[in-house]
Amino acid sequence: MPKLIIDDRKIEVALGVKVIDAAEQAGIMIPRFCYHPALGSVGACRMCAVKFLDGPVRGLQMSCMVEAKDGMVISSTDDEAVDFRRFVIELLMLNHPHDCPVCDEGGQCLLQDETVSGGHAMRRYMGKKRTHRDQYLGELVQHEMNRCIHCYRCKRFYQDFCGYRDFGVMGIANRTYFGRYSDGQLENPFSGNLIDLCPTGVLTDKPARFKGRRWDFQRAPSLCIQCSLGCHTIVNARYRELIRIEARYNEHINGHFICDRGRLGFAFANHPDRPRQALIHGSAVTYKDAIRTVADRLSTISQSAGPNAIACAASSRSSVETIMGLKFLAHALSWRSPGFFMDRLQQDKVSAAAGRLDPNLAISLREVEQADTILVLGADPIQEAPMLALAMRQAHRAGAKVAVLDPRPVSLPFDYEYWPMTTDNLNSALQELMRSVLSENAAESYLCENIQPLAIMLQNSQRPVIVCGTDIVNLSVITAAADLALQLQDANKCAGLFYVLPGANAYGAAIASIGSEPFSELLGSIENGEVRALLLVETDFLYHFPDQARVKSALERLELLVVMDYLPNHTMEFVGQTPATISSSVPTSALTYITLPTLTHFETQASFINQEGRLQQATPVHTSGTPLSQLTGGKHPPREFRNDIPGGGAKAAWRIFSELEAAILSSHPAMTSFHDLWSRIEQELNIDVHIENSNEIPDNLRIYSKNISSELYCELA
Amino acid sequence: MQSSLYQSIYEGAYGLIAGFAMTLRHLFRRPITEPYPEFKRQLPERTRATIILTSNPDGDERCVACYLCSGVCPVNCISMQSAERSDGRRHAAWFRINFARCIFCGFCEEACPTLAIQLTPHFETSQRDILKLLYEKEDLLVNHGGKNSDYNFYHHAGVALVGDKGSHVGEEQPVDIRTLMP
Repeated sequence: MPKLIIDDRKIEVALGVKVIDAAEQAGIMIPRFCYHPALGSVGACRMCAVKFLDGPVRGLQMSCMVEAKDGMVISSTDDEAVDFRRFVIELLMLNHPHDCPVCDEGGQCLLQDETVSGGHAMRRYMGKKRTHRDQYLGELVQHEMNRCIHCYRCKRFYQDFCGYRDFGVMGIANRTYFGRYSDGQLENPFSGNLIDLCPTGVLTDKPARFKGRRWDFQRAPSLCIQCSLGCHTIVNARYRELIRIEARYNEHINGHFICDRGRLGFAFANHPDRPRQALIHGSAVTYKDAIRTVADRLSTISQSAGPNAIACAASSRSSVETIMGLKFLAHALSWRSPGFFMDRLQQDKVSAAAGRLDPNLAISLREVEQADTILVLGADPIQEAPMLALAMRQAHRAGAKVAVLDPRPVSLPFDYEYWPMTTDNLNSALQELMRSVLSENAAESYLCENIQPLAIMLQNSQRPVIVCGTDIVNLSVITAAADLALQLQDANKCAGLFYVLPGANAYGAAIASIGSEPFSELLGSIENGEVRALLLVETDFLYHFPDQARVKSALERLELLVVMDYLPNHTMEFVGQTPATISSSVPTSALTYITLPTLTHFETQASFINQEGRLQQATPVHTSGTPLSQLTGGKHPPREFRNDIPGGGAKAAWRIFSELEAAILSSHPAMTSFHDLWSRIEQELNIDVHIENSNEIPDNLRIYSKNISSELYCELA
Repeated sequence: MQSSLYQSIYEGAYGLIAGFAMTLRHLFRRPITEPYPEFKRQLPERTRATIILTSNPDGDERCVACYLCSGVCPVNCISMQSAERSDGRRHAAWFRINFARCIFCGFCEEACPTLAIQLTPHFETSQRDILKLLYEKEDLLVNHGGKNSDYNFYHHAGVALVGDKGSHVGEEQPVDIRTLMP
């Protein structure tokens, strides 16, 4: 462990750490443009020069190119280094245009910061500036090549890190050009990271173009709910409108980057048709009236047909707070246990996956990068969990072999062995592989000859990872994948298991779904009249269930249908119509349709459990309400004083549950505050580390169960 | 000793008499005070009062809604929303100055990179209704260049909007990326 002194601060770092990182660990930020921890060092910008006063290296050196060694004495504030950096900045600024006022990077620009901090205020060189033509790079990234300082970060990320070839570098010397050969959409599904990586305004966020400055944004650490990985993001909002999403560093999951779906997939929060008003039969009522009506109707139904006639459901996109809140409510009022999945098979598959994970088997996305053999079973990473594809590419770059067993043509940005096989064959192939792992010789006769190379690949591996999808595979494959991983561990390999689940909180839904019936079975209960009232929370059966006509006719048989969602969903649209317009064979006199708007995870504290069992929390970024731009059609804000937020009537789902419980039982509800809710969730999930402040879930908290029907336990490592 | 006593008596008497004499003289003089609303003084050009948004020599608005004025404003009286105009130009979709809050410090004018926002000597803006002191973009926009009538930001910025790349002040022709010739 080398010990060195940087700016009079002693620090001990791990072997192989560059001086620039060692300084950062000591709290000294050396200026840089080309260096990035994920992309490594190239020494292209010459900005990170420091003076080596003593030790194995002497003189002015680039701190990103020198490894920290024992006995080094380094000064980042030495006159020579400071002068050098000032001249470098001046050279980099020679061709930089004076367009900061119309550049979206202004206010969050590394070049701007380091020019100012370097003391370069006045341009001395009076020659002409080099110019470049810009390209159309699709609807996500805006190109303005004049601003480039040639740090090569974009090219290194795009080609080396991601493995896509359509964007790169052309030309030499001062005319170096970063772009495509011709205009066109970037093919890389991670291209949005170029926006974060570019130290100046060459590549900027196109959807957020000219929408505002960083210093005006409300910013909060959040999570991505586009897939089950739970990548960390930073959300930027202004005037009640989400503007953009940036990647947030997380060492266990996404590292420095996020995929384009996560970066762009926030438009639902700004949707002009978002429900913002409580409705009864499509006409606006106050929240209080709506809650009272729901409570009255539910009490009546409960008295006449028993509490078992009331069913409720949420989905895998609902937060832990919503899912658990609904479970507590159903339990307190002895309703049917809430369902979270469309059909039995999906529920069983996700539950099986959640049940098989344990601290020894489950691995994080970061650990996928360290694998030397990856077996992908019935998963399409680019479509189902894009960052997994990027992690697998990093493993492949380090020499890992990847085999994909899938009936579909899967596309990945690196070379891999593709084994097309049907989902049924997948199971038998896994059985064969398991047998081969147990045996000494992979080429034993009973092994199906076709998959022999796979068996040999697994036997030669040290750190194999089994990636298993839960969408197209059979239930048996999910358990077999876990068995195979266990057997590999028995064979003294550092094996890991990585499931891909169908939703941001599918894991949370699975561990809450013990004893609950999926919608396909609930539908039968509605049709035979057992269920009279249905509460749908953040789920859209009319859209997701294949037989829409059947769902519609079933919903019309209900006496009460309450839809709570933050999205304008199809069931809500159906509910929005007054009963008179619904063609119904059953008398609708008693039928009540109620819509209650809820909040997104951008507007309320929301936790999600990712596919690895990791419990994570998103912080709200702003208060819910109609975005100003939608309120005024782009014109100036209204010239009036008012106390409330226009369109700000929505409430968090768990708060609606709490109010419902209070109204029905006409007593003090069990959860009046977020803190109450969380102490109950802690109990329910068996979280033995006490979460002092419900806003701060400890890093690396994972929740597992022995098997899905037994007790939960948590792991904090 | 003696002389200093006489001197102090003299000085005291002089002070009194001279003071009263001045007062007496002013009693018979015409007043030099000029009543304000009837007589309006010509204020220096750089007096800091009401704010305007000026225009380029070609008549187009100068403001690019860069948020520097609102960022520097010590009383947060400037708010705006930047947007992309149909011709691709960055402009303010709306721009509002709350003159009830403005302290006329002139920081916004100093920060403005396009010389759009300028303070004028016009100071008579008081209103009984505070909402009337909320000036919107259409109230602020003028069709002249104010103190710098000949400056056009887009001739110096280097973005291809007013004129193609390479056609602006101090620019070379765009690089041909398909050649490696020096």
